[in-house]
Amino acid sequence: MELTVDERWDLIDKISKQTITFGRYSHTLKDAIAEITVKPLTGIPIAIAVMYGFWSFFGAFAGFFTDGFFVKIFDEHWLPWLQKVFPGEGGFLYYILVGDPTADNCFEAFGMLTSGLFVAIGVVLPAIIAFYLFLIIMEDSGYLPRLAVLIDTILHKIGLHGFAIVPIVLSLGCNVPAVTATRTLETKKQRFMMATLLAIFIPCGAQLGMMIEIIPGYVGFVMLYLLIGFFVTGFVLNKIIPGRSPEILMDVPPYRMPTVRNIGRKMWMRVKGFLFVAIPFVMLGVLLVNVLYWWGVIDWLADILEPVLSAWFGVPKETVGPLLAAFLRKDLAIAQLSAIEMTTYQLITSVVLINLYFPCVATFAMILKEGKEGGCKSAPIFLLGSLATLVATVFLFGGLLHLIWIILGVA
Amino acid sequence: MKILLMGHPNVGKSVVFNRLTGANVTESNYPGTTVDYSKGYMRLEGEDVEVIDVPGTFSLEPKDKAEEVAVKMLEKNKKSAIICVIDSVKLERGLYLALEIIEEGYPVVIALNMWDIAQDKKIRIDIDKLSSILGVPVVPTTAISGEGIKELVSTIRKAAPVEIGRILKRSGVV
Repeated sequence: MELTVDERWDLIDKISKQTITFGRYSHTLKDAIAEITVKPLTGIPIAIAVMYGFWSFFGAFAGFFTDGFFVKIFDEHWLPWLQKVFPGEGGFLYYILVGDPTADNCFEAFGMLTSGLFVAIGVVLPAIIAFYLFLIIMEDSGYLPRLAVLIDTILHKIGLHGFAIVPIVLSLGCNVPAVTATRTLETKKQRFMMATLLAIFIPCGAQLGMMIEIIPGYVGFVMLYLLIGFFVTGFVLNKIIPGRSPEILMDVPPYRMPTVRNIGRKMWMRVKGFLFVAIPFVMLGVLLVNVLYWWGVIDWLADILEPVLSAWFGVPKETVGPLLAAFLRKDLAIAQLSAIEMTTYQLITSVVLINLYFPCVATFAMILKEGKEGGCKSAPIFLLGSLATLVATVFLFGGLLHLIWIILGVA
Repeated sequence: MKILLMGHPNVGKSVVFNRLTGANVTESNYPGTTVDYSKGYMRLEGEDVEVIDVPGTFSLEPKDKAEEVAVKMLEKNKKSAIICVIDSVKLERGLYLALEIIEEGYPVVIALNMWDIAQDKKIRIDIDKLSSILGVPVVPTTAISGEGIKELVSTIRKAAPVEIGRILKRSGVV
């Protein structure tokens, strides 16, 4: 036998009257904190402070380990030592593993054992640890859903709702779990929009770490530009894609003290994932790019694509190499950019292009998978829609940035 | 036999799952952490039993893709016992899903999780009475610290399907 909804609630009413009693409860400090972080008047300044704290901590932590420690080890000891002892200078193997024999830093050498290791361990690993430490504390304390409540009104303007902040924040760590997290959104339209927007506009932790290393003074500008792109594109997508964007009711859980055990466990899971999945990809990326250079494929492609790259985006044709590498790992691609001769503004445009341009292969696979689970028929539409949005935004926002530099007279 | 962990979002299913199986699925303090199911094994009276951590759902009428996964898992595993995890602070809400699952004929055990918070909030629940009205085992747990998990394990075998008409009778509705 099955009850109707009303019968079920009547039954629950009867049961709870006989089993639950409420004692006197007075407000605690925890309740007070819970209130001030969710009411807009106090909550928004607090949210800004938290985000600023997040950013400062990220930069300080990653900078401390990368600049203060790994740069010295890799550039002053590891690289010169490898260049000295590795046999066969000028040969294929030397080129692949060590790279440029005259390079004096690990960004420019571009071998698997030099740049590959340096990017993965020296730059990205500290950035990832810093990011996840903060993220895990936000997740476990219960602050994340409060942020969702505060940002709800803004996200409604682009057809999403506050809870979409969860995939966005996760995405700043890695786009892959963020795409999976879009499952908590109600409609296919919302899931498509979110997955597409974050794959295009949100840089992952590895990219952020790399950006801080390469263009330390301009990361804020790049982030702002991407954020504007996120909202403008979201606004347009919301207008042209059919489907609903329903209102939701959100549960805001009580604050809880994060436990060291859970922080440690989640951190280890992330770091393990990075060591065993991401590092092989970085290595593979260096290998692939080096082989393509060796065969002259990249120079050939650079000549073909030069008109588009230099006329529309205003970047040197050599950025073809990094753009290819970006398909495997975007952090690696940004590292490669630093070895190409160009102006600061061209460098900023290139970094933005790498952000917007094709999602890394792991994210791409995940979008494909999520699209497929929305029903076999919608998978190609999901993917084609994503790709169309991608191409449009790359040309639009990449070209726009070039235009801004022209207007400012720095292009 | 299989065991499914079901309940509303953010009631601690994944924490219970990790406690039962020694697995390492992600636990966080926001609804919607788990969006896909995970499987693990626990020892139950000398036997390896499969346990499935299911995404949170408010009812058996799914509203998003994560809830769809949950309802599908329940339908696919007709022969399993259900541990229905309920946030003790929000017992009434949690009972709705528990009743739906009982009506479908599954054997159910109820874990009243976050028991410590209910205590702090001076919410008192008569466990014995609740258990005798529903006719299913009810165990208070604080999964984060592990309290009540042992008792929960020892009651799983006692779970048996309950006729909803008897619950109506015992509660005094009819």
